[in-house]
Amino acid sequence: MIRSALASFVITAVLLVVVVGIVLVPIAMHMPDPLAVLDMFVFGPFRNPRHTGNIIEMATPGMMCGLAVAIMLRAGMFNLGVEGAFFLGGLATVATVLLVPLPGWAMAPVGLAVGAVVGSSVCAVPGLLRARYDASELVSSLMLNFAALFIGLFIVNYFLRDPTAGAMVSYKIPNDARLPRLVAGTRIHLGTIIAVAGCLLGAVYLFMTRAGFESRIVGLNPAFAAHLGLPIRWILLRSQLIGGLIAAGAGGIEMLGLYQRFSWQGLPGNGWTGVVVAILARDNPILLIPAALFLSYLQVGGDLISRNFDVPNEAVGLIQALVLLVVTSSAIMRNPRLLRLVSGRKAAANKTPGPKVAEGSAA
Amino acid sequence: MSDIDFVGLLSFVPAILRVTTPILLAALGVLISDRAGVLNIGVEGMMLSGAFAGVVASAATGSAAAGLVAAIIVGGMLGAVLAGAVHILKADLILSGIALNIAAAAGTTLLLFLMTGDKGMSGSLASQVLPKITIPVIADVPVLGTLLSGHHILTYVAFLAVPGVGIFLTRTPLGLRLRAVGESPESAAIAGINVVRVQVMALIVSGAFAGTGGAFLSMGYVSWFSQDMSAGRGFIALAAEVMGHGSASGTMFASLLLGAAEAIAVALQGRGLPSELMQTVPYIVPVIALVVYARRRQRLLARA
Amino acid sequence: MTNAPLVAFAGISKTYGNGTLALDDVSFSIAGGVIHAICGENGAGKSTLMKILFGLEQPSSGSVLLDGKEVAITSPRVAAEQGIGMVHQHFSLVPSLSVTENIVLGQEPRRGAFIDRAAARQRVVDLAQRYNLLVDPDAVVRTLSVAAQQKVEILKALSRDVRVLILDEPTAVLTPPETDELFERLHDLRAVGLTILFISHKLREVRALASHVTVLRAGRLVGDVPLDSVEDDAIARLVMGQAERPKLKRGGRVSGAATVTLSGVSLAARDAADRLHDLDLAIHAGEILGVAGVDGSGQRGLVSVLTGRIQPSAGGIAYDGHSIAGLGTAALRQRGLAHLPADRFHDGGSKRMSLVENAIAGAHRLAAFSSGPFLKRRAMEARTVQMIERYNVRAPGPRAPLSALSGGNAQKLIAAREFATEPRFLIADQPTRGIDVAAAAFLHERLSELAEKGCAILLITADLDELLALSDRIVVLYAGRIVARMENGPDLTPERLGPSMLGLESAA
Repeated sequence: MIRSALASFVITAVLLVVVVGIVLVPIAMHMPDPLAVLDMFVFGPFRNPRHTGNIIEMATPGMMCGLAVAIMLRAGMFNLGVEGAFFLGGLATVATVLLVPLPGWAMAPVGLAVGAVVGSSVCAVPGLLRARYDASELVSSLMLNFAALFIGLFIVNYFLRDPTAGAMVSYKIPNDARLPRLVAGTRIHLGTIIAVAGCLLGAVYLFMTRAGFESRIVGLNPAFAAHLGLPIRWILLRSQLIGGLIAAGAGGIEMLGLYQRFSWQGLPGNGWTGVVVAILARDNPILLIPAALFLSYLQVGGDLISRNFDVPNEAVGLIQALVLLVVTSSAIMRNPRLLRLVSGRKAAANKTPGPKVAEGSAA
Repeated sequence: MSDIDFVGLLSFVPAILRVTTPILLAALGVLISDRAGVLNIGVEGMMLSGAFAGVVASAATGSAAAGLVAAIIVGGMLGAVLAGAVHILKADLILSGIALNIAAAAGTTLLLFLMTGDKGMSGSLASQVLPKITIPVIADVPVLGTLLSGHHILTYVAFLAVPGVGIFLTRTPLGLRLRAVGESPESAAIAGINVVRVQVMALIVSGAFAGTGGAFLSMGYVSWFSQDMSAGRGFIALAAEVMGHGSASGTMFASLLLGAAEAIAVALQGRGLPSELMQTVPYIVPVIALVVYARRRQRLLARA
Repeated sequence: MTNAPLVAFAGISKTYGNGTLALDDVSFSIAGGVIHAICGENGAGKSTLMKILFGLEQPSSGSVLLDGKEVAITSPRVAAEQGIGMVHQHFSLVPSLSVTENIVLGQEPRRGAFIDRAAARQRVVDLAQRYNLLVDPDAVVRTLSVAAQQKVEILKALSRDVRVLILDEPTAVLTPPETDELFERLHDLRAVGLTILFISHKLREVRALASHVTVLRAGRLVGDVPLDSVEDDAIARLVMGQAERPKLKRGGRVSGAATVTLSGVSLAARDAADRLHDLDLAIHAGEILGVAGVDGSGQRGLVSVLTGRIQPSAGGIAYDGHSIAGLGTAALRQRGLAHLPADRFHDGGSKRMSLVENAIAGAHRLAAFSSGPFLKRRAMEARTVQMIERYNVRAPGPRAPLSALSGGNAQKLIAAREFATEPRFLIADQPTRGIDVAAAAFLHERLSELAEKGCAILLITADLDELLALSDRIVVLYAGRIVARMENGPDLTPERLGPSMLGLESAA
């Protein structure tokens, strides 16, 4: 079993390289110096500690949004409200910090807590609607993402807006509320530690707690869960509450870790990145960490070539889409010939003749 | 007093029809894909791509018609791509749709930049606008004129497509097979139907509809493409289709409801209500309608 | 009427991807214009062979010959072109479409770009009259009774100009009068020249219908004879084989108080297989109560109300005299309910989870396996290893996924899990269906043991030998009602049960 896991990891890694190549090479060929472009994309992020730091700090929301998606997917829920929860969580955190009088030491914890609770509604409401009315959480979460966006913009415009600033942004976030930086010369902040801890806790939750176990049963086989008498609706709702809290918390952490003011004018896209991260990590919370790091490495590379070579960083978006497609393709990922090739075995042809009754598929 | 209100309401109708058009077009496409068992989550990306293709083609050729054709073709091709992902790569339907949406958002911005040097808007491209249509005699009739004439050509196309899609689904052989494939693919296969081919065709048509909806966005009343201009309308079309109970007419009424919600929101913005809050309305109404529909279905099932 | 071989199988073998050998070098031929029966137990390979003939499966080796010529039947469409039609055990109709739409699907009469509805309807009416299979062409299939749906299935097959009609266990879901009518229709079809292949494990029907029978056992051909040349017990022996089955006769033990009582329980449902009418039943501690009945007689509904999945529409169920109205599965399991579900990989376990997780699921909240919110994984694994040893489960290890186990071993593990709760009431639904003889025997012993410890056991099974070997008392379920009750004894045979199972007698 280990060999096949390793085999599938190797296939994934090779495919990722291929995908990156497919998008990047044609773009690079358009530029006067294609090799320089490729070199900057692949190695550039490591040449400068600030950029390497970028990889880590940009992986933070990826890890947490990926965790949110993974936990909900493990319970079998396709709740796409992560995007809106992230946005609203960030907003609510900033709003709390700006509007509620709090002592300096309390600003971040209280702000993050309030942000998490408020933002989680974008995932929780679809969850509730599914639990009570069996309404599709897919469609309702997609809608609520946009509703959250506009409610958020409303609050910024009417309550948080700094008239002295040029664009539509909020007042400055008080320094006390901001998360401490960890590594000099980079923007890595406390949030990264929280994100990594979150992923580890996520693994503990899913594989070592009763609640996580029940979640997985419901996700893998709801009929079995019904047979055991598990409270399925409550388990589904719980997974979406947890996912929402994590995604919203991620938004708050991103705000307090990196931003001076709340300046998002649209949905920031971290939710969709979270989906890609989660799928790449096969919903395994520990693998979320390298998956998020990989995707943000691509992002940093994209930013670098966009700044230095005038290549738009949307190329990274294309790469992400291809990654998602390839990883979810079972024709590629579960291709028996490919797996055998990589794990170096031949499949044994099992003949089980004799008096045993043919199971399942026959008669 | 009452005359003024009446006139005001009447002039509201064209606004509702205008806002409904892209939603209805996309929703009809979603309907076809859903009835065939391959719900098109990528409709958002297909709309956006259609909008972009229309602008580019009409600017290059100077012809609005060419732009429309390009939008339809691009949408259809993306439908084929989604079908390929599901049937050849055996990828998950929903995740492939999401991938397509991400790719479309990135791809259209990327191409826009490569063509115009600007990421936000296609202002430098001289793209065309599709015309409005005035029906000669009817236009002069007092009430009927406002209701029936003077709308955009794609609005007429959208509403005429409703009975077209309905008849296709219920009265043509291909429509019957499509419904069989969506409801019970094994039975359809046993009846000798090529399930894969039907689903591929359904997705191509779905994409074509979405592309047409996109063409309305960028060539309807404005003549430019801007980044992410579909703004979730594809997802609203998804909601409309779910509310539509699987019929073309149901989808139309649901789309009208959601279009009206958006139009009302815009109107109320003009009257001083905060614009952002009004902009939430087109997204909250579908959720409420979804709940109503789900409750009704729950009660029906419980009674059985 | 020509009797030259119309269909011939030459050396057909079929091995599935997971290594299961379903058919092993099967060769025989079928004459034209006869009704030819294919007999065998569950898992003998009958359905697989027919699926190959109909193009739903491809043989791993060997070939099919039609009229003496080798033909590659690669899809149902090719089969239809060759004149082969099939009526399936689980129907292949589209529920929300009408009878007419279902029948013409794929071959719709056209008028321009549209379906010619009038012509389609006429086609169906003509077909129905020609073959005397009367159905309402405009009815929506979902609303039809099972027997009516089967008629539509048959008409669908006939509409494609067939020479060979395959029926897979067609009477499993019919009442006796419906069965008689079907047989009359089949005789009519044969009289007009059709060749009919009839798959069944019911000897009485085979006698009534066919002129020739082929017997398969464990994927091999063991007999191919005209029916008038052989006795029933000879056929039975061919089907069952000579192997000695361990006779675990229980019969007639004294049991205790009633653990579970049903009083006037009725269940209204859309699907006839779920309906129950006014059931009065008591299952006593220490007894095994066997439920006999044709598939779809209400067993599913009975299991649903007893496990708390659905509340009965009328009447009440009590555990130890206390009503369980309104209680769900979780509460009932706490009161001592355990269940071996008929569909073991769907309801009884999770294929992708490990044996440990499957074995302890349901008990994971007990103090032995959890402390606070956390699971005690080592304790779980240790207990699972114990269960594997005690139940003789052949497995690569406790962490292997359930899918790595054969059906018999998986069922043993599931039984280990359910029995470990020391249940007071166990529902065993088709407990040994499709599993090997050794595992089946093992499970029978465990069931007997459980009953001796005082558990009340409800045994629902289509295997009459199993029923007779294990049950203390037997009730027969037919169309949602109990139509016979009897004590089990040495002189009780399957023949005695037959009539009431088919609704012919009513002695409740």
